[in-house]
Amino acid sequence: MVYITSWDEFVERSIQLFRADPQSSRYVMKYRHCDGKLVLKVTDNRECLKFKTDQAQDARKMEKLNNIFFTLMTRGPDVDISEVSGKEQSEVQPTKKGRGRKQ
Amino acid sequence: MVGSLAQPTHLPPYFKLRKVSSKSAREREREPSLFAFAMPDPFLNELTSMYERTTERGSVWVTLKRSSMKSKAKRNKMTSAGETIEYRCLVRATDGKKTISTVLSAKDHLRFQASYATILKAHMSALKKRERRDKKKAGDGQTKQEDLKKPPKKSSS
Repeated sequence: MVYITSWDEFVERSIQLFRADPQSSRYVMKYRHCDGKLVLKVTDNRECLKFKTDQAQDARKMEKLNNIFFTLMTRGPDVDISEVSGKEQSEVQPTKKGRGRKQ
Repeated sequence: MVGSLAQPTHLPPYFKLRKVSSKSAREREREPSLFAFAMPDPFLNELTSMYERTTERGSVWVTLKRSSMKSKAKRNKMTSAGETIEYRCLVRATDGKKTISTVLSAKDHLRFQASYATILKAHMSALKKRERRDKKKAGDGQTKQEDLKKPPKKSSS
C-alpha cells in the first residue's frame, strides 16, 4: 500500500491506473468524522495507490477528482479529460444550426 | 469463532481462524445486498443519513467502480457477437454495518455528481482548514498556499 504525498502525482497515477484496466480498477473514499481524516484509494487489485489527508483543501481537490472518475467510468476510459468545466464543452452542440433568413 | 479449528499459535491473538463459508468472495459480492441497487436519489438520501450517523464515531466508505452489470459469460458473448457493452458506474457506500448501492448511467452521472458533491461538502466539516498566519501578515485572513511552502524572507534593514 503506497501512500502518495503529492496530490498531483496521486491524480496522475490513479488515472493512468484506471485507464490501463478500467474493468477491475476502483476508487474508494473513506471518511472518518471523529478523526477528521480522509483516505482515498485507487486500485486494480494488483497495484494500490493511496492518499491520506486531514485538510479541507484536499477535500475540494477530491471533488474534482470525483468528477473525473465519474466521467471516466460512465463514458469510458478513452474520454478526453480536461478540467471539470471543460468536460461539458465537448458535449456542447452548436446552438445555431440554421441561419435566419430575412424575407 | 469455531472451536473445531486449531488456532494458529505463531500469529497474534486477533488472527483467529474462522470457518470460511462455502461461497467464494466473488459469489458473496454478487449476492444482492439489502438494498439491491437503489435509484440514485434514495441512495443519496441514505448516504446523507449515513454521514449524519457517523459523526461521533465510525467511517463512511464510498466506492466507485465501472461495471457493465453483466456476468462475464454474457460479456464475452456480447463482445464476440459484436454488440457494444454499455458500461455504467456502480457506487457503493457503507458504514461498516450497512451497505447501499446505486448504478449510474452516463446521463445520470452529471446530476448525481452535483448532488454528491453537495453532500460531501456539507458533511466533511471535520477536516482542518489551512490557516497559517505568518508573523508578518498577522492582519490578513488567509495566506496563499505557496507562502506556506516558502515562508517570505524578512528583509532586514
